[in-house]
Amino acid sequence: MDFNDPMLALSSWIGQVSFLIGDFGLGLLWRFIHIVVTLCHIVSGIFEAVESYAISLGLIQKYSSIDIEKLKCLAVVVDIEAARDVSKVVELLQWLTTIGVKQVGLFDSQGLLKKSKDMILEMVPRSVLLQETGEKDTSGIALEFISSSDNKEAVVKAANILFQKYLKSRHPGKDEGENVFTETHLNEALRVVGESVHVPDLLLVYGPVRSHLGFPAWRLRYTEIVHMGSLKYMRYGSLLKAIHKFTGVRQNYGV
Amino acid sequence: MNTREEVGEFSKLFNGFMTLMRRFIFKVLCVGPIPNHISFIMDGNRRFAKKHNLQDLDAGHRAGFVSVTHVLQYCQEIGVPYVTLYAFGHDNFRREPEEVKCVMDLMLEKIELTIDQAISGNLNNLKVIFIGDLNMLNERLKAAAQRLMEVTEENRGLMVVVCVAYSTSHEIVHAIRESCVKKCGDGDSQVLEVSDIEECMYTSIVPDPALVIRTGGRDRLSNFMTWQTSKSLLHTTVALWPELGLWHLVWAILKFQRMQNYLQKKQKLD
Repeated sequence: MDFNDPMLALSSWIGQVSFLIGDFGLGLLWRFIHIVVTLCHIVSGIFEAVESYAISLGLIQKYSSIDIEKLKCLAVVVDIEAARDVSKVVELLQWLTTIGVKQVGLFDSQGLLKKSKDMILEMVPRSVLLQETGEKDTSGIALEFISSSDNKEAVVKAANILFQKYLKSRHPGKDEGENVFTETHLNEALRVVGESVHVPDLLLVYGPVRSHLGFPAWRLRYTEIVHMGSLKYMRYGSLLKAIHKFTGVRQNYGV
Repeated sequence: MNTREEVGEFSKLFNGFMTLMRRFIFKVLCVGPIPNHISFIMDGNRRFAKKHNLQDLDAGHRAGFVSVTHVLQYCQEIGVPYVTLYAFGHDNFRREPEEVKCVMDLMLEKIELTIDQAISGNLNNLKVIFIGDLNMLNERLKAAAQRLMEVTEENRGLMVVVCVAYSTSHEIVHAIRESCVKKCGDGDSQVLEVSDIEECMYTSIVPDPALVIRTGGRDRLSNFMTWQTSKSLLHTTVALWPELGLWHLVWAILKFQRMQNYLQKKQKLD
């Protein structure tokens, strides 16, 4: 049997079919595939909703107790549209307080939550600003408000501090300067410009897509990133499930 | 014709048919937007080896390399212009020395093989670039990587960026150092801007990734391109890297296409 004949025939057939189908036909096929994908997401969403309600009602045993001590620092990324609805953010924080989370960083790229900081602190019981907490203050929930200005711009401010140190160390006549370009030095410089360098253990993303949306890159190295869906339709059970899953994660940090 | 030849012919026919079907699927996929740049966090080689009771220290990584060749072929056929592979992280050097040596030796072997393919014109016009702290590599591996970059420099096909001895934290610090040194040399301004730092990043040669695919089921970026992925769709699959196949890639791209409107709107806002 000559291999080439049937293959050439098949290739020619597919070429002819593609030509006949044309762009319009391919477009229809593409839309059909996306309809199927959307249906899959809807079905999966329904299952998740049912599971979430079962968790909320305490019907699934394994979620009834969570080792919250493992979760030292939680961050929440909120899509800009969702960040305008402060009441939902407050509700989320109240849930997190109930679960026992002690430290939460709230991020939205435009800083809308930063602007509503006072209102949020007023509406969430026993909440304080992270910068104002004492070391042993374990009651309530410490909040941090973060935006895109705490990402690249903050690193640039810190970089300029290192730049000045570098320029001084290059001054003639001075002893050979220290190497100012290390991660430790950058951490220190970030603290000087008022930035937190705490690395969140878990990042919950409330928005249409799983994307960190510009959360400070320097703090995101080994953070678990979980997509929670829309803030408008957030569910307590899904929140419990995400935190529970995190407590079971084993990090090897590249080793 | 004997049975062995018939089986061989059938196998060729079958493979040929699968290739044509794959190209048809990609033709349909390409009706929608295709990510300009896909980054892969290639996790799960060691777990793959454990799962299949493979004894050799580099067995999982060898299986992983096969996956690399398939994924690059698929990306090329789909028309993705840039692909980044997170091959070996800065923190991975803290693994057992025997394992690190094994991985470095395997990388050297595969780079030398790829050089031969490039010279003989069998690399499909791929352009390969290595980024990261290459001074951490042994001299022979570093020289081989350099050679591969040289022989593929003129290629204008898919650009493959291989991250070796890479981490975002190291990249940021390195970029700050380089931009400071450069700024001193310029003499105009004594203030760094975001653009100064970004120009000096290892990844300045490629646009930000539109889609990041992590295999192995883990939900973190593991110190990979956290600076560049603020507008990226982060996709995780439970398949281990050597198990990553056509359908995983197609699914990820379909997901990207569904989210494209939102991602574009986000880009305009920023």
